[in-house]
Amino acid sequence: MIAQVFAAIIFIAMFAFIVTEIVERHVVSLICALLTLILVFGVGMHSMSAVVDTINLRSIFTVEFWYHSAKTAGSGSGINWETIAFVFGMMVMVEGMARVGFFRWLCMRIAKLVKYQIIPIFITFMVLSTILSMFIDSITVILFLAAVTIELSRLLKFHPVPMILPEIFCANLGGSATMCGDPPNIIIGTSLGYSFMDFVTNTGVIAGVSLIAVLIYFYLAFKKELLLETGTSVDYGSLPSPESIIMDKRGFLVSSVIFASAILLLVTHAQTGLTVSAIGLIIAAVTLMTSGKHALALLKKVDYKTILFFIGLFVVIGGLEQTGILEIMAGFIGRISGGNRMIMIAIIIWLSAVASAFVDNIPFATTMIPIIKSLSAAYGIDLSILAWTLAMGTDIGGSATPIGASANVVGIATASREGYVIKWGLYCKKMLPATVMVVLISMLMIIFRYL
Amino acid sequence: MKKQLIISVGREYGSGGHEIAEKLAKHYGIQMLDHNLLDEIAAERNLDMKNLEGLDEKYKNPFSSRTVRGYSSSPEENLYLIQFDYLQKKAAAGESFVIVGRCSETILKSYEGLVSVFVLADMDKKIERIMRLYHLTQNLAVKKIREKDRKRKRYHDCFCKEKWGNARNYDLCVNSSRLGVDDTAAVLIDYIDKRQQIETK
Repeated sequence: MIAQVFAAIIFIAMFAFIVTEIVERHVVSLICALLTLILVFGVGMHSMSAVVDTINLRSIFTVEFWYHSAKTAGSGSGINWETIAFVFGMMVMVEGMARVGFFRWLCMRIAKLVKYQIIPIFITFMVLSTILSMFIDSITVILFLAAVTIELSRLLKFHPVPMILPEIFCANLGGSATMCGDPPNIIIGTSLGYSFMDFVTNTGVIAGVSLIAVLIYFYLAFKKELLLETGTSVDYGSLPSPESIIMDKRGFLVSSVIFASAILLLVTHAQTGLTVSAIGLIIAAVTLMTSGKHALALLKKVDYKTILFFIGLFVVIGGLEQTGILEIMAGFIGRISGGNRMIMIAIIIWLSAVASAFVDNIPFATTMIPIIKSLSAAYGIDLSILAWTLAMGTDIGGSATPIGASANVVGIATASREGYVIKWGLYCKKMLPATVMVVLISMLMIIFRYL
Repeated sequence: MKKQLIISVGREYGSGGHEIAEKLAKHYGIQMLDHNLLDEIAAERNLDMKNLEGLDEKYKNPFSSRTVRGYSSSPEENLYLIQFDYLQKKAAAGESFVIVGRCSETILKSYEGLVSVFVLADMDKKIERIMRLYHLTQNLAVKKIREKDRKRKRYHDCFCKEKWGNARNYDLCVNSSRLGVDDTAAVLIDYIDKRQQIETK
């Protein structure tokens, strides 16, 4: 009982401190992790084995960390080292691509392909945001896309905000389509043993249908504002040629090959047996080996704070799991739904969406994984249905408010720093209806397809 | 070449700090920046002022904003950073100006030509001034002074390490109630002249 009280207090305190940002979130999660080890496992449970299980270091030294001979779930409770290794590897690869100018080149190339016409740029950038976010983190996607959008808006004379907001939404939508698109999906996939293609054929299909709806919605919502200043003379000669953006031609080619290989490895990992952790580490190693003198700089640019945040978070959630609190919460959801699968899906998707609109979706999804496992076991509902429901709720819900997802924050900051300040009112007026629409589409598709 | 002079004036509401800043700008024939800083930024970047209004000298609400890898969703913090960049650029270009508030004593601390001043006043004098200027009752004037100063302090302390009005943060803190606005400005001019003489030597 005392262990449960400690675990609950630590968890609530962690959320409170993350929200207030008094201390950086990785510091909060690491301190809370330490408190979990001491108070929950030590004082409350007197269990050294719980500490060892939660730190989970031994999982790194197993074959399953690198190679899955059959579809197996991840290492259970505690630190999910598979996620950590994959996130690290992708961060190194993305830094390598950014160094050579890959993302800026891609954006400018597409703008040139559509002859710098505003509405075609608007549509193609939304699609580009979705596709890139399927494979790399949405923060990087938005960082480059928003910067290029502002650059183009000055040259082509249009307001950038009506283009940046849909890009943000599509980055979150793209993230929901694959296992590696958004951190909750990586955690769901590695914890429950789903492959890249499992996500593509389930959440990917929902994201694809939603993208069509979103393209229509944002076109109708922003068409007028985007075309407000058309007719103003544009100096096309001042537009940078895409080729001039490439900083290092050899590096660019190498980065493109590495990126293509990463996609290929991820798409085929269920067949090859390579785990996402192995893919992440292989990609990181190849990127570093081919970066020569830039390797150290790339390593320094990796967002270690996020990695530390993940580590701390897994320990705190491990505390909740080991003390049985999450089973109690699962029982609560089960009772409210009366065991009805449709109601259970509705509760999970809307609860996840609303929670993710206000708090970090990573701790939320991590907390929910053991809950959906319990629900699946107790009510005989296929775990994968609940996993897709959780993924769509957490990934899409984050789009509703300026603080819901990392891509929103980065997109808003990039625009605001250039003077195009995006306030809550403006953001929610356009993004909330789109979020509700996509969550609704997701819920209906899940219900009709799986029940 | 004329030496760069940047005068940063922090002020309590009703202390006459703004008027003193105007007198200093007039005396030295240099630009005065206060809320017009936003107009300048908007004009330079061809921005819609409507979008920026209401955010000037406002503190960041931690519950309605989030920071990711150093990027903040707070409109107030982003405007602060825009002003930060603009003031830094202006100072780096060697321009001389008077700037009222906006954390300028911290933002421009590294510039040799900076003279930072904080103007305070006795409460009764501040009430008297606000009642006279805005035709308010005593109670309303007190309320307005407390509210404005609370917001200025929160804004400053939200973005700066040093505390608002703390003497260690400024070259000079002066109570304008003792000499009145005109003589306080005269004392400050005397101080600034001496500083410039020393620095020119």
